[in-house]
Amino acid sequence: MNATLKIDAVSKRFGGITALDGVSFEVAHGELLGLIGPNGAGKSVLVNVVSGFYPATAGAITFDGRAMTHLPTHQFGRSGIARTFQNIRLFRRMSVLENVLVAFPEHVRSPFLSLLRSRRGAEIDRAMALLARMRLADKADLSAASLPYGEARRLEIARALATNPKLLLLDEPAAGMNDRETEELREDIAGLRADLDAIVLIEHNVEFLRGLADRLVVLDYGRKIAEGLPDDVLREPRVVEAYLGADDE
Amino acid sequence: MMQDYLFFAGINILLAWSVYIILMSGSLSFANGGFMAVGAYASGLMTTRYGWDLWLAIPASAALAGLFGALISLPALRTRGVYLILVTIGVSFCMVVAIESTELLGGVQGLGGLVGTEPWHVGALVLAVGACLWLVSYTPLQRILDAVREDEHVAGALGVNATYVKVVTFGVGAALAAAAGALYGHYLIFIRPEHFNIMISLFMVLYVILGGVNNLWGAALGAALMTLVPEFIRVLAEWRPTVFGVLIVLLLLVRPEGILAFRTVTARAGKRIRKEGAP
Repeated sequence: MNATLKIDAVSKRFGGITALDGVSFEVAHGELLGLIGPNGAGKSVLVNVVSGFYPATAGAITFDGRAMTHLPTHQFGRSGIARTFQNIRLFRRMSVLENVLVAFPEHVRSPFLSLLRSRRGAEIDRAMALLARMRLADKADLSAASLPYGEARRLEIARALATNPKLLLLDEPAAGMNDRETEELREDIAGLRADLDAIVLIEHNVEFLRGLADRLVVLDYGRKIAEGLPDDVLREPRVVEAYLGADDE
Repeated sequence: MMQDYLFFAGINILLAWSVYIILMSGSLSFANGGFMAVGAYASGLMTTRYGWDLWLAIPASAALAGLFGALISLPALRTRGVYLILVTIGVSFCMVVAIESTELLGGVQGLGGLVGTEPWHVGALVLAVGACLWLVSYTPLQRILDAVREDEHVAGALGVNATYVKVVTFGVGAALAAAAGALYGHYLIFIRPEHFNIMISLFMVLYVILGGVNNLWGAALGAALMTLVPEFIRVLAEWRPTVFGVLIVLLLLVRPEGILAFRTVTARAGKRIRKEGAP
């Protein structure tokens, strides 16, 4: 498989607790991979390891052919991995527009040189285009702290896109949204695929991923228990037992 | 006398900004009295012992202190919050002891013969530094500093090297404290280690917290008020420090974010928000 992200036998332990236990899978170019599993399965821990937030205890992460495992967090961001957060982490003291502007890669890489080469008007236009894609253009000058839940999640996606990423990691982007917001978000995420090399979408709600994800990886108790096409994976007895059986509606 | 007050108010504004600059990336430094001492003593040696021109000695001592500040911040920034504060307090104490036991610097006796600062020099530097901070407050740099200050891990995920940003701001803050120290020393004529003790560092931080931690105006206002107001309540004689202390506590109760709490918005969309998109 022609992979952009390779996760090879990655483990993460916190003291005596094993949050991830030898998880391996790959994300192909152009793919939208769904990562599912019950609460506490280790989905968010995996995102934190793949985005450089936590160093892996064991195993290796390769992104675009580059060994990432022991690099500092900012090298993950600079090499083209962007993410959102399950517990929304916007810069709440800034405006909506500033949350996007702050992420532009040319300034992030050399903050002090930005004094010399900032193109204010063009940058605001770029940020407004990203906000428009996330249906937030009319909120640009509001404080980020004032946004309701659903819009705050959309702003996190806009901020991640501003880094011009190749891989986007979305950690439960639909959590807390109502049905209409969820459907809009599904459309918008589908619309992002053309501009990104790959998307990994963590989701608790399987229905959100059906028809959106190309493949699914299922985690349970820190281990990968299934991987494959969504319809196949969701029929596997182990998955049904671990996940759907416990959470059937 | 009025001239002296204005001079010290100007010096204190510069010192408050030196704390504010470091605070811009999220670190509260109680070491700036030490950096101020580096500036005063280094420039004092340069002018009195080696006959340098004061206008060469000030930038040279500021650069030296900037380097020193950046070097100290490297290990210090491995600590966070209250521990970082303790480390910087330690630096302040060490600096005074180091000067006291260094014969070249005059030890406890002090260093004399420093002359050349006019009050307007301080005024000019206040205007220059204020203008720089004001210009920066509308740039991408300001946003990145704000991001590091608010959530350095998220800033890191976006690709910001937060450690680098913090080390540089530490260096710049230290350099400004040193420049103020050099001007201060060459106004006092005679400097002693206790001019740069922990109380000085403490006051600088207090100026910023009292005036407002989110913008350059707060630090300046805090420094000006705290320098000048005590002079006007002199009638209270020995009750002066008590009344002053009570005023500070009251102010922080009423306005915990400082007198000027606002944050300057670095960029606005304004007319770019299309009308049809508005609700």
